[in-house]
Amino acid sequence: MINVNNLSKKYGSTTVLSLSSLTITKGEHFGLVGNNGAGKTTLFSLILDLIQASSGEVTINSINVAKSEAWKNQTAAFVDDNFLIDYLTPEEYFDFVAQLRKIDPKTLKDFLVRFEEFFNGEVLNQKKYIRDFSKGNQKKIGLAAAFIGQPELIILDEPFANLDPSSQIRLKNFLSSDENKGTTLLVSSHDLNHVTDVCDRIVLLEKGEVIKDTPKSAATLKELETYFSEQ
Amino acid sequence: MNLFSLQRKETFRAPQWETKLSIKIIMTLVMLYFLVAFILGASFIYPGLNKAVQTKEPVEIFNSILLYFFFFEFILRFFLQQLPVTNIQSLILLPIKKSRIINHVLLRSVFSGFNLFPFIIYLPFAISMYRDDYLLTQVVAWWGALALFTFCINFLIYIINKDNRFFVGLLVLLAATIALDKYTAINLGEMAGTVFDQVVETPVLFGAFLIPAFLSYGMVYLFLKRGLYMDAGLKQKKTQVRGGEFAFLNVFGEDALFLKNDLRMIIRNVRPRQIVVMSFLFLFYGLVFFPQEIYRNQPYILAFAGLFVTGGFTLTFGNYVPAWDSSYYKLLMTQNLSYKKYLLSKWNLMAFVTAFCALLSTPYLYFGWDVLAIIIAGSFFNIGLGTWITLFGGLLNKSPMKLNVKAKAFENTQAFSLNQFLLTIPKMILPAVLYGVPAQFVSPTAGIVSLAGAGVLGLVFRQQMAEKITQLYIKQKHETIEAFNK
Repeated sequence: MINVNNLSKKYGSTTVLSLSSLTITKGEHFGLVGNNGAGKTTLFSLILDLIQASSGEVTINSINVAKSEAWKNQTAAFVDDNFLIDYLTPEEYFDFVAQLRKIDPKTLKDFLVRFEEFFNGEVLNQKKYIRDFSKGNQKKIGLAAAFIGQPELIILDEPFANLDPSSQIRLKNFLSSDENKGTTLLVSSHDLNHVTDVCDRIVLLEKGEVIKDTPKSAATLKELETYFSEQ
Repeated sequence: MNLFSLQRKETFRAPQWETKLSIKIIMTLVMLYFLVAFILGASFIYPGLNKAVQTKEPVEIFNSILLYFFFFEFILRFFLQQLPVTNIQSLILLPIKKSRIINHVLLRSVFSGFNLFPFIIYLPFAISMYRDDYLLTQVVAWWGALALFTFCINFLIYIINKDNRFFVGLLVLLAATIALDKYTAINLGEMAGTVFDQVVETPVLFGAFLIPAFLSYGMVYLFLKRGLYMDAGLKQKKTQVRGGEFAFLNVFGEDALFLKNDLRMIIRNVRPRQIVVMSFLFLFYGLVFFPQEIYRNQPYILAFAGLFVTGGFTLTFGNYVPAWDSSYYKLLMTQNLSYKKYLLSKWNLMAFVTAFCALLSTPYLYFGWDVLAIIIAGSFFNIGLGTWITLFGGLLNKSPMKLNVKAKAFENTQAFSLNQFLLTIPKMILPAVLYGVPAQFVSPTAGIVSLAGAGVLGLVFRQQMAEKITQLYIKQKHETIEAFNK
């Protein structure tokens, strides 16, 4: 699904990311962990062609993201607030995204029903602009929008941050549910518990380089905790 | 005082200041130019009035129109003055006395560009008075009274700004003043003027103006003190959802999606609303030129005027494409949408509004068919070419836009770039040449055909234009995203 070749990103003389090669297969739930400044968001931004690589390339389904826009019809992401149109109501926002992804209103409605529990009655029919919602609810809106139309690839940066405990658990269950089995999911998180629960492969970044790349096993969480406590 | 040092840092570390030194220097020069132009202009008022009206003292005439000037100032401030309140959230919990925070905010507001009025308008006038035969005490008292009154307005606007009812009241008052002046013997402007006449006559009366100044300060102080809680005055008001479905736009098919979004953006955010209101004022621009005979034989100026009448929206709104979408640019750049479609939707909006303005400008027929023809030809140019030039200009504009924050008057540098400013020159010179040259050397009709024809050409090659501009936008994609992320 995703191929990364000799990818690097430099700002001046500082290298913030340097990956010789990384392959993410279709349907993989890929977890990215690392301390601040490790390069997680940089990697996601490079995959989404939001920043320009200093060298190397990223391909999604063999399409070079920097050269063509064709990858966009199978990709969705929620990286930060810049993915929300804050003067829209959640309904209008979902509708906007759905129309871009060619989803008809009926399908969208059915889709949103499944998020009812996650939204906890605080998102839909509120007659409020997104900018007037709390941070947590804004996050829920952005996350839900990323799943509209079942894109093949979904990239979520820190999806658990700002969510209340119940919502974190609901999100975790949703990400691991059957309907997302075939979806390639890229998740970064500072919460080692959640990320090991949701993902079946964990990559640990530090200072822009891969330190650890393992399939998840029973021991993964312990290993990660040991690693980070020694930092 | 260290609260002021915070303020200084906020101002000078804002993204728009992080530009090249050369641009800073040029911008400063531009501002200085306007300042000097204002002062020079104002210094001609006194001699001008002296010459024009023999029966009355210039000061009396000036005083009698002051009331209207105050109304104007109130309205201008209501729309443009951003109150420096929002930034004090972070200070509330620190061990600083509330009174100090409020006094700081109020003092800070004194340094608003609007409070330059006494210096750029009243002061040159006062100096002229002194050079005539008024005593220094008279002049100082007169100027001081006006300056104090300006500060009253400065403080009162805090209260008015929070409440639209005050504003409506103000408009009613203005309408009443005009009506009374016109249809009855009561002239409130002159009555207000006599107050200032008295100050000139008896300078000691100046002291009376200290009372409203202190009163207004006190009122606003109490007003702010009550509001100094997170959930009261500081938080931006939650608004009712305005403007909904715009179902009638569905006739535009796929384009409707973006059109709807742009309409919602305009209706629901302060900045775009401000700019759209301004763009409609351009409709009246022609009134400056067309009634005057001397301009009738100046084809270049006529072309200018004609262009501005319908070009307001393209000039004001269009200049900030794509900055309008800066706060969610990342979303747009990762969604399944083509850049071309995005740009064409902006084009559609500009074309639609320009055509609408052309329709609204038909009353210019009053000045003759030739005038209306220039305006209509100008609208063709605006739609066919002006739009593309503007979108090209947007490429050069790399400052993010805060949608729901009012522009600060006299520092309207948000999303402003010098390159873009320079680009307005061809935008104006090109049509002036297109109309002016044939009009001067062949006939006015030839000028109209040439101006409108250029626009029609732009319309015919719309797809090709879109393609070209899209290429340029894609090339700058990463740079734009980075800049908007600031």
